[in-house]
Amino acid sequence: MSVALQNLVNQPYKHGFVTDIESEVAPKGLSEETIRLISSKKNEPEWLLEFRLNAYKKWLTMSEPDWQNVHYPKIDFQAISYYAAPKPKKKLASMDEVDPELLRTFEKLGVPMHERAALAGVAVDVIFDSVSVATTYKEKLAEVGIIFCSISEAVQEHPELVKKYLGSVVPVGDNFFAALNSAVFTDGSFCFIPKGVKCPMDLSTYFRINTEGSGQFERTLVIAEEEATVCYLEGCTAPQFDTNQLHAAVVELVALDNADIKYSTVQNWYAGDENGVGGIYNFVTKRGLAKGVNSRISWTQVETGSAITWKYPSCILRGDNSVGEFYSVAVTNHLQQADTGTKMIHLGKNTRSTIVSKGISAGRSNSSYRGLVRISPTADGARNYSQCDSMLIGDQSGAHTFPYIQVRNNSAKVEHEASTSKIGEDQLFYFAQRGIDAEEAVSMIINGFCKDVFQQLPMEFAVEATKLLSFKLEGSVG
Amino acid sequence: MNDIVCHDYFESLLQLLPNKDSNSTEALSWLKQLKADAIDQVGKQRLPTLRDEEWRFTDISPLTKLPYRPSLAVCNLQLADIEHLFLAETNNRLVFVDGHYVPELSDIIDNENLIVGNLSELLATQSSSIQPHLGQYAKFQENIFTAQNTAFLQDGALISIARNTSIAAPVHLLFIATQSEVTSYARCLLVGDTGSNVTFIEDFVALQEGAYVTNAVTEICLAANAQAKHYRIQRENNKAFHLANCAVSLAHASRYESINIALGAQISRFNFDAKLTDEAAECNIDGLTLIADKQLSDTHTNIDHLKPNGTSQQQHKCIIDDAAHAVFNGKIMVRPQAQQTNSAQSSRNLLLSSQAHVDTKPQLEIFADDVKCAHGATVGQLDHEELFYLQSRGLSENAARNLLTYAFGAEIINRIPISSLRQQLEQIVLKQTQSR
Repeated sequence: MSVALQNLVNQPYKHGFVTDIESEVAPKGLSEETIRLISSKKNEPEWLLEFRLNAYKKWLTMSEPDWQNVHYPKIDFQAISYYAAPKPKKKLASMDEVDPELLRTFEKLGVPMHERAALAGVAVDVIFDSVSVATTYKEKLAEVGIIFCSISEAVQEHPELVKKYLGSVVPVGDNFFAALNSAVFTDGSFCFIPKGVKCPMDLSTYFRINTEGSGQFERTLVIAEEEATVCYLEGCTAPQFDTNQLHAAVVELVALDNADIKYSTVQNWYAGDENGVGGIYNFVTKRGLAKGVNSRISWTQVETGSAITWKYPSCILRGDNSVGEFYSVAVTNHLQQADTGTKMIHLGKNTRSTIVSKGISAGRSNSSYRGLVRISPTADGARNYSQCDSMLIGDQSGAHTFPYIQVRNNSAKVEHEASTSKIGEDQLFYFAQRGIDAEEAVSMIINGFCKDVFQQLPMEFAVEATKLLSFKLEGSVG
Repeated sequence: MNDIVCHDYFESLLQLLPNKDSNSTEALSWLKQLKADAIDQVGKQRLPTLRDEEWRFTDISPLTKLPYRPSLAVCNLQLADIEHLFLAETNNRLVFVDGHYVPELSDIIDNENLIVGNLSELLATQSSSIQPHLGQYAKFQENIFTAQNTAFLQDGALISIARNTSIAAPVHLLFIATQSEVTSYARCLLVGDTGSNVTFIEDFVALQEGAYVTNAVTEICLAANAQAKHYRIQRENNKAFHLANCAVSLAHASRYESINIALGAQISRFNFDAKLTDEAAECNIDGLTLIADKQLSDTHTNIDHLKPNGTSQQQHKCIIDDAAHAVFNGKIMVRPQAQQTNSAQSSRNLLLSSQAHVDTKPQLEIFADDVKCAHGATVGQLDHEELFYLQSRGLSENAARNLLTYAFGAEIINRIPISSLRQQLEQIVLKQTQSR
């Protein structure tokens, strides 16, 4: 492992990083100068600056999309400071200062004591714990040749890899928010699994403390070479607070011949209060390219947080016999809005895709499934199965389904199914008969409803996600 | 397409509006106002392009390539020319040639319980019963083609059924195209009073080979417990543009059933809008699209459940051959009040050639929690096992294919209870599925 990396992960906290605050904060607004400033601060090579400027030029010509089924006040892109990093989040001095509501959440979720402090943003020495874990992990990974570091580090140390793959799946001008991200991204994760390597453990950003506060424009790049296998986890179940309201991340996955990437997300950003005040706007572009033959890309997501979630983790199935999967649970409560789903673009022969999407809306929230299945003329024998189920809790929530099916090849077989249901009185009665109270009954029913997706999550995540869901919906039934 | 072209297209169309003062029916001030509002809308709106979400798969820019002036009110047809289109079961027949009503070819047997006739003539006597309905369901504020149709409103069919009357014989509306490079405006208004029951057929036929535009608007209003069955056959020639809007308003426990068969036109677009405005209403719509060559057929349906206990069912099938392109967008809306709604929708598509393509989007929007809603979509080719089974019974591969394709479409056609119409359609489908 590189010395720089070791130094980075061993930082007790990022205060030490920010020596000269004045020079680290860019003035508000987005311009070519801001981008040049970001690039020079990060000591980036010329090609990356060009990449950013190119994205910025594209962004200027684009307008904010308005087709989505979410509503929010117009974002003033000139009121955002695009280079505030690496200024850390405000640290609290002790656990006593933490919001009691948050502590109650931790209690419910059964988060270990030391992690609670870290998650609440308390600047105690708990971090050493994560650091030690991270360090041992990193050594193990380096042994088999896996590169797992922040993207800024990767730019410095593996520029050839970053240059080759950055923007290869999500082009700079792909969409409004992806263009913005490409122009101003400050940090994120980079992961490279060399040929034939089966990653010995699940990679998790949670243990990579240096991604903490990586800013609102995160960039993730995961590459699996021939025959490589990796399982990547993002986010965590405990609520995360952030002062930045707009989050526009970009995630790119590349799978070469016979490679297998499994990407799991548990997202629980601050969703705002009951009246929808505050809360994160999570506008993310996630896309995987199944480039090689027999490659496989699998997305699993549990979306519970954010005031607005707007993302479509997609698979481009270019290699023959490649497989794309999407498993999603989206839970919205109060005034949350979620417009999420996937895109499966079949290009190669005998490509297969599976979509399982479960939406649960409670309170006055709205959740939408929006999915695209496109079978191009070259995708002989392509196969898709989609299932999207919604569950409504209370009569003020909404569930929407927008499945786009575009078929250009007559040897393809595409199936789509959707249903809507609710937790029935009779079901609750049945549980009551057997001595199970309403709250537990609801939790059991919901877990049964989401089982297909939770099965795809790594063990610990699945357990936490189960608890998270019942907590999230507490008080919305009965 | 640039906006200037669109603008010019509609500007030039507006110039062609008939002189308002010369027409006696225009004396009705409400109608004058309605048309003025529609003209105003034509001026305000622009022609939809692929960038509009509702039109993303249907490029109608070829429409602007020819001027398509309004059709002339001349009819050279004799009864014998169109006899083959008549249906034995019907006893009321309205014939519109290029959008203009032709009494000589029509056959009306109305009585005090059933008023059937030309809208522009009946306006003189029925103005008070037409006014609350005409232009009230097919909203021209949202659709430029409806606006255009309303602006040019002249002849049209009116079917009005009295309270608690059941009309046994179907009413046949025949829209025949005989002129090329013109636009015909077809209009139909059906008003079913409380407890009434009627069946009607809209049949769009061409007796010439040139390109033309049919702009059709159908409005249906059913009062409490009323029932209507609607069969809509679109068999324009394959150079035609068919732009149709159909709006249905359903009151308490009323029931609407329709089968929409789309066979013709170079580019066709059918917008269907049903509003279940009161409790326990029922709406069942089925459709079959059978297209080949370079045809484009677009069906957009929207069933809006506003009140509790509503039921809706929809099955839409497409058979697509050659380089044809079918579009289906089926939206089911369940409003917050519409508890206990039961809705099922399925979109099934059969691709017969490697160039054929389909864009389907069964869309659900649900705001009520105690509902049963399901939808499904499939796209595929003929099942290999079924083909094998038929071949093992001695059918050639081709015959097996044709039989299965025919059976796929026949499922919808067989639901039409009017046997003469069913036979006509069976012949067409058989011919099309055997031509391969």
